[in-house]
Amino acid sequence: MTTLSKTTLRRAGPGDSVGRTARGDKGRRRRSPSGSGWTPYLFLAPGLALFAVVQALPLLQEARLSLTRTALTSPNDNAWVGLDNFVEIFASADFKRTLVTTGIYLAVCVLGAVGVGLVVALLLNGNYRGRGVARAVVTVPWAAPGVAVALVMTWMLNAQYGIVNRALGAVGLAPPGGAILESPKFALPAILVITVWQLFPFNAVVLLSALQSVPKEVTEAAMMDGASTRWIFRVATWPVIAPTVSLLTVLNAVWAIRRFDLIWVTTKGGPVGATETLVIDLYSNAFELGNLGKAAAMGVVGVVISLVLVGASMLLSRRSDQGDAR
Amino acid sequence: MRRNGVASAARVIALLAVLGVAVFPVYWMLVTSLTSDADLFGSGLTLLPDLGAFHTYADAFAQGRIQTWLLNSAIIAGGTAFLSISLAIPLGYALSRFSFRGKALVAGLLLLTQMLPEALLVIPLFGIFRDLGLLNSLTGLVFVNASFVLPVVALLVKNAIDGIPRELEEAARVDGCTPISVLTRINVPLIAPTLAAAGVIAFFHGWNEYVFAVTFLFDESKRPASVGLASFIGEQATSIQSVMAVGLVYTLPAVLFYLFAQKYVVSGMTAGGVKG
Repeated sequence: MTTLSKTTLRRAGPGDSVGRTARGDKGRRRRSPSGSGWTPYLFLAPGLALFAVVQALPLLQEARLSLTRTALTSPNDNAWVGLDNFVEIFASADFKRTLVTTGIYLAVCVLGAVGVGLVVALLLNGNYRGRGVARAVVTVPWAAPGVAVALVMTWMLNAQYGIVNRALGAVGLAPPGGAILESPKFALPAILVITVWQLFPFNAVVLLSALQSVPKEVTEAAMMDGASTRWIFRVATWPVIAPTVSLLTVLNAVWAIRRFDLIWVTTKGGPVGATETLVIDLYSNAFELGNLGKAAAMGVVGVVISLVLVGASMLLSRRSDQGDAR
Repeated sequence: MRRNGVASAARVIALLAVLGVAVFPVYWMLVTSLTSDADLFGSGLTLLPDLGAFHTYADAFAQGRIQTWLLNSAIIAGGTAFLSISLAIPLGYALSRFSFRGKALVAGLLLLTQMLPEALLVIPLFGIFRDLGLLNSLTGLVFVNASFVLPVVALLVKNAIDGIPRELEEAARVDGCTPISVLTRINVPLIAPTLAAAGVIAFFHGWNEYVFAVTFLFDESKRPASVGLASFIGEQATSIQSVMAVGLVYTLPAVLFYLFAQKYVVSGMTAGGVKG
């Protein structure tokens, strides 16, 4: 992941010593100032202990729970059932729908957030007064706490008094029945729009830094020669920002998979499962229905999906590292 | 040049529209909190706040429980910042300055933990915390939040220490400093700005966190603001003005922080990917 910072955040200022150092290390042989032996492990130990208890142990427990029938009400009574939970979830139409919804959610979030982010970055790019202010203001959706966003969106989408329905009503487009988040047809699109609204600023800001490493001389000369904007984008801009775009794709995918608060607070996965993504399905199975074993099996599926995404991101960052070295 | 003029006017309008869409929901919290019932539920649409109606805020806070929520959020967030920074300093130092067996493994572990969705681990953690007696306790939440934000904080610390010339440390070691006092006397003061930024990132991770708080805390008196605010949904007793007032008070610190510390946050997030 350091690549992204190296290539795109060179201008990021005092906090960003990333670019300099990665280069500085290369030339000289790593010396450890203290000999070595046990010292580095002593420094690592406290942090790794926390990881062991809060990440590694739970992962193992999740795998074990997924092979048992365990109820929330009697957690120590876990009968070994082998792969039954997995057989059950993959046979159920509900879980298939959850996977489809998660897939749609993931795809639309990634395309929407990176796409809108790129358009906004292109809009923000350039020399004009108030550029810093514009860049700061655009990050508000990303900065606002998820629960607060869920709350104000629920109010804005209120059937009778919400501003969205009032505005839609004024132009004769109000949805029948009114409550968008309670409509099986409109709830998921609404959640998608809100999520893209939350995610696009990060993409815009990161892509904006990437755009600044596009050589100006090239684009200006091409402009003088009368080249079309589209051609300039394809030939001069895209190759520079492409590695950033692929890393953003992975980050947004991870964020889409883990998004819980917005959906849980606004719809709890409803109406009738229309907005049920993997983490929502898992949570309601565990803590509303009390079926820990089945929910843990969903968790294992989620971990596998996340691992695939992590693997993809490692491949991408290695590939663009090599690209850098060239 | 005429074509250029039209194009740049279109661009300015598009940019303003984007900025408007970006801030509107937060603005709408403000407007709603400062609009009378008659205007909110009447047939007309009020787009401007009534600046004489700030008593909403006093009313919302008069119940007392809002202060408790915000205080709990601040305790969780402050604890998260303190614990993650304390652990990240030695972790980042080891990753920056030592070569040791398993280093790639540790780096891979950091990446992995950034990518794991919190909600996937909530079930086994519930059991582990029950056995450790950490359920229904703010301390438990500090542990879990610190662990999820630690990768980003540690990478920021590592990158900052990477930027310090080794000669400084070597000089100190010649003068007889132990590795720990090299770290605390030489490195920590030099990376103070990064530590401050990383600490604030960790703070707002804890401030915003919801899934563990809503699952692990049972007592009303221990609720942080995220859980308290979510409980407003579907509840009729609290006026929408109060709800939005509390929402805004909860939102503004996070938004203001991100406005000012954006570059640190962005480099931390791209090093990891903790918030979304």
